[in-house]
Amino acid sequence: MREILSSPLFGITLSIVAFKVGLSINEKVKHPLANPLIIALIIIVATLKLFGIPHEYFEAGSSIILLFLAPVTAVLALTVYRQRAVLLSTFFPIVLGTLAGSAAAIGSVVLLSRLMGLHEAVTASLIPKSVTTPVAIALAEQMGGISALTIASTIISGLAGNLFAPLLITLFAVKDPVAQGVAIGCASHALGTSKAMEIGQVQGAMSSISISLSAIWTVLLVTLFF
Amino acid sequence: MKYLGQLALIFALCLVGDMIAALLPFTLPGSVVSMLLVLLLLVSGVLKEEHLGESADFLLRNMTFFFIPPGMSIIRYFDVISSIWWQLLLVNLVSMVICFAVSAWTVTLVIRIQQRVVGGRRA
Repeated sequence: MREILSSPLFGITLSIVAFKVGLSINEKVKHPLANPLIIALIIIVATLKLFGIPHEYFEAGSSIILLFLAPVTAVLALTVYRQRAVLLSTFFPIVLGTLAGSAAAIGSVVLLSRLMGLHEAVTASLIPKSVTTPVAIALAEQMGGISALTIASTIISGLAGNLFAPLLITLFAVKDPVAQGVAIGCASHALGTSKAMEIGQVQGAMSSISISLSAIWTVLLVTLFF
Repeated sequence: MKYLGQLALIFALCLVGDMIAALLPFTLPGSVVSMLLVLLLLVSGVLKEEHLGESADFLLRNMTFFFIPPGMSIIRYFDVISSIWWQLLLVNLVSMVICFAVSAWTVTLVIRIQQRVVGGRRA
C-alpha cells in the first residue's frame, strides 16, 4: 500500500479528483462561497487525515503540479495581449492603480501589525504578501521575515481574493471592468486572477498585467523604504 | 504533435525567463519575467497567438487547479501559523480589502481625469 500511496501519481490523482468534485459542487450550488479550490483543499486534507496518509506522500505528486505554475503564469501574457487595445488606452490608470494598491497593501500591513503588537519578523513576513509568492518570499527573506508565514499570507490573500472578489466589486461599487481587474490582480495575484478570468476577459487581462506591475512596484517600494 | 510543440515552446520560454531573472540585479521571479517576455514577443510579432494556442488556453482555463499545492502549504506550515493564526488572518484580510479598494478607486479616478483632459482638449 505504501508503494502506491508514495507514488507521485497518488497526489496528482487525488488533486484532480478533489478539484473535479469542487467544480461540480460549485456548478450545482452556484454560490461564490462554494469555491472549487477551497472544496478541493478540504477534500484533500480530509482524505489524508482519514486514512492517516503522511503529507510527504501527497507532496510527491503535488510538487509536480507545482512545476506548472510558472508556465501558467507565463501564458497569462496571452490574455493581456488579447486585450492590448484596452491596455494601451488605460495605461496610466493601470500603472498608477497598481502603485497605489501596492503602497496601500504595504502601509496597511505595517499599521495593522503595529496596532496588534506583532513581532517585527512577523511584520516583515507579511509586508510583501499581496504579490505573487516567489517575489513575496524573496522580499520577506531580504527583510528578515519567516518565509513560511509569507507563503501562508500570500495564499490567504489569494484565496480571499478568489473568494470575495465578486462581493468586493459590489461592496465598493466598482463598475469599470479595468478597475475591477486591476484591483483583483493587485490584491490577490494569480490566485485572484483565475477568478477575474471567470468574471470577464477584460478583468482577466487587467488582473494578469497587474500581477507583474504590482510585483515590480512592491520590489521598488520595499527596496526604498525597508 | 501540435500540442507537444506548443508545450515545448511554453516550457522553453519559461527557462529563458528563469535565466533572465537570474541575471537581473533585483528580485523578480522567473515566472513574472517569462510573462513579460511572452508579452514582449507577442507585441513585437516574433511570437504568434497560434504558437501557444490550445495548450496555453488549456492551462489558462484550468488555472485554479495549479494552486492546490501552494494552498496545501498552509496545512504544512500549520505549526508556525497556529500560535498567531487569528492575527495573521485579520491583518491579511483587512489589508487585502484596503489594497483592493485603493487600487480600484485609483484606476477609476485616473480614468476620469484622463477623460476630462481629453474632453477639455476637444472642447
